[in-house]
Amino acid sequence: MSLEVSDFTVAAGTTRLLGPLDVTVEPGEPLCILGETGAGKSLLAQAIMGTLPAGLSASGRIVLGRTRLDDLPVKKREALWGRRIAILPQEPWRALDPLMRGNEQVAESHAIVAGRSWEDAHCRAEADLTGLGLPVASHDAYPGVLSGGMAQRVAFAAATAAGATTLLADEPTKGLDDARRDDVVRLLRDVARQGGILLCITHDVAVARALGGRVKILRHGDVVESGSSETVLTAPQSAYGKALVEADPVNWPAVEGMSGESPILVAEDLAIARGGRTLVEGIDLSLGSGGRLAIAGPSGLGKSTLLDTFAGLIPPASGRVERHGSARRPLALQKLYQDPPSAFASRVSLKAGFDDLLRRHRISRETIDGLIERLGLSPALLERRPTAVSGGELQRLALARVLALNPSIILADEPTSRLDPVTQRSVMEVIGEIHREADTAVVLVTHNLTLAKRWAGTVVDLQGFAKQEATH
Amino acid sequence: MTMSETLTPARRAEARRLRASFVKLLAARLFQALVVALIVGIVGFAMMQALPGDAAYRIAAGRYGYDVVDAAAAEAMRLQLGLDRPALEMLMVWIGQALTFDLGHSFVTGAPVVDEILHQLGHSVGLAFISILVALALAVPVGTLAGLRPGSLFDRISGGAALVLRATPAFLIGILLILFIAVELRLTPASGHGHGTHFVLPALTLGLVLGSVLSRVVRNAVAEAVASEPFRFARQKGLSLPAALRRHAFRNAAVPVITYLGVQTALLLEGVVVVESVFSWPGIGHALTHAVFERDIPMVQGTALVLGLGFVVLSFVVDISCRMLDPRLAQ
Repeated sequence: MSLEVSDFTVAAGTTRLLGPLDVTVEPGEPLCILGETGAGKSLLAQAIMGTLPAGLSASGRIVLGRTRLDDLPVKKREALWGRRIAILPQEPWRALDPLMRGNEQVAESHAIVAGRSWEDAHCRAEADLTGLGLPVASHDAYPGVLSGGMAQRVAFAAATAAGATTLLADEPTKGLDDARRDDVVRLLRDVARQGGILLCITHDVAVARALGGRVKILRHGDVVESGSSETVLTAPQSAYGKALVEADPVNWPAVEGMSGESPILVAEDLAIARGGRTLVEGIDLSLGSGGRLAIAGPSGLGKSTLLDTFAGLIPPASGRVERHGSARRPLALQKLYQDPPSAFASRVSLKAGFDDLLRRHRISRETIDGLIERLGLSPALLERRPTAVSGGELQRLALARVLALNPSIILADEPTSRLDPVTQRSVMEVIGEIHREADTAVVLVTHNLTLAKRWAGTVVDLQGFAKQEATH
Repeated sequence: MTMSETLTPARRAEARRLRASFVKLLAARLFQALVVALIVGIVGFAMMQALPGDAAYRIAAGRYGYDVVDAAAAEAMRLQLGLDRPALEMLMVWIGQALTFDLGHSFVTGAPVVDEILHQLGHSVGLAFISILVALALAVPVGTLAGLRPGSLFDRISGGAALVLRATPAFLIGILLILFIAVELRLTPASGHGHGTHFVLPALTLGLVLGSVLSRVVRNAVAEAVASEPFRFARQKGLSLPAALRRHAFRNAAVPVITYLGVQTALLLEGVVVVESVFSWPGIGHALTHAVFERDIPMVQGTALVLGLGFVVLSFVVDISCRMLDPRLAQ
């Protein structure tokens, strides 16, 4: 049995979004579809499930084993869900029902979808979750208190409980830190090892590399490269394939530790808390002028809170944060935010926002235009609204906005986590160049440990400072 | 099921959090009840004092009828009820009595206020309860069908009908129902109470008014739940539409619906004076209006107090129900 998609096209009216495309996934040999956001990757998974949004039309053949899927009536396609084809959702903590315990969500697949008795279903659910390495104490937790990796495992168990052996994983590692990402990859690899059909859609080269099997690289709906993952990911032929592989932080040039000149930001025995709960403690660090420092760690550990503490917005729970020299000036600390669109007023042109900035801080237009050009953008971009500018461009504009104030330290909070890999690399490069020119120090916060190491050399791994919770 | 009988530490911590949140909520609502009681007592009293006209005259008229009341009767009434005392003193006496759960006696009938209120509140609660059942029976199926296909013909028609119903004054709906069902078809009595069939028209009127907006609340909640990622995932893991609705939509949609019902129930209890009048229903709204006309201060004060406290109790019930449905609210 295999999954075969042949001569397949998805179009919106007369605009072709995806294809023509031929994809074959054999049991035991995973296939990864790599590509940037908006390359039409998710459309393939939706087309296989039969959940393409209204208004899109598909042509071509989709065959699973001996069943032709694309011309099945809706009811019959839905009957395959969970029983033959399963989909692993993006961001599972949002896909699990927040009002139902995890084990119950797995059990209902056994009971309602597979038609087992409820008693049997509950036992199997427990066994499934244990088998996936979920601690027994977390089996009956509500999804809201599970970590991303745990939620992914519950979602996996729930999706496959009724015996589906074909798994579609759509960006299954989105928003996960390195360790959790590896957990999910292991989970997926096991599906293939047990003879399942696995189609994984991702923008993360590291996931494709770890999964092995075959790879297809998609750009603007076209396949630009395909072959075994080893060949494609070590010696890509197409220009985009090369850019994508180079954009993987593993392939970034490493930098030596750049702790900077005289210390301007010093933390001593720092502890931070949120809602009365201590998150991390015992942090000692020092950053010199013009230096780089990366802070890495999984989500929810207080990385952003730590940045706010550096900025003086939140008092430390204990310990001290000191700023020295030029960093004591007002406006000396500036922040770059994770989600560029939400860092700009969406209903006015970018120019209006920048004009306010110029007036408020008496900055000359030449300065800001010069900065924008230095960052590789045209000042004409300012005529548009933030929604009409790409995420990478917007993050550069945010950088220009910050640099105009001549800061001593830039606090960058996951500045590229919402950007696709190629853009991520170019934005990080431009931050790297410009902070040296402007003699500005940078604190980079990221969940990507590899990126942190490659870009900054010096990394504070917050996990080492996490407060050990008393277990009751 | 054996797994759920042995409580895991996480479950116990969860139960502990839930209990703590209940206790906190109860304390907050008790305090609120006290504040509400005080405000209702003082404001109600002040408003009664501020009404123009001679209270003693109106009370006497309430007791004996307008025809037989003259200045002498009013004066006698004033002396008998102590209406000539300073207002502040009367208020203090009322508060003192209220603190011992004594609401005094009606100026007009002389019966204990508590008895009168319980009697009328009983009628109002009965009517409100049946009206809510009618509203739910209408709104849940209509709202669910509309919410499953937002923008469909059914959605638009039911939305338009809800708008028309909501925009029509309740008394007009009541009169139209009387004309059609009671007078034309002779299916039910037009007004009054005592027999089961007397519930039909007022409950239908209130149920239609309440159900019209409720159907839109249900529709929005269902549409939101069905468009949510958890619902999509539930479908794609293999649950049929009815099973996914039952297990992953209704509970999630219930919180806004219950919140809305809670607020509306409070209005049903006190704000349906017009409907009670149309159908001669001896409810508490009806009673309050009469008490105001007759300057029956203890009745007005007592009724307002009970309604105010009823509001607090309802809010508490709504809060608790929502927390049971969505444990995240108990955080």
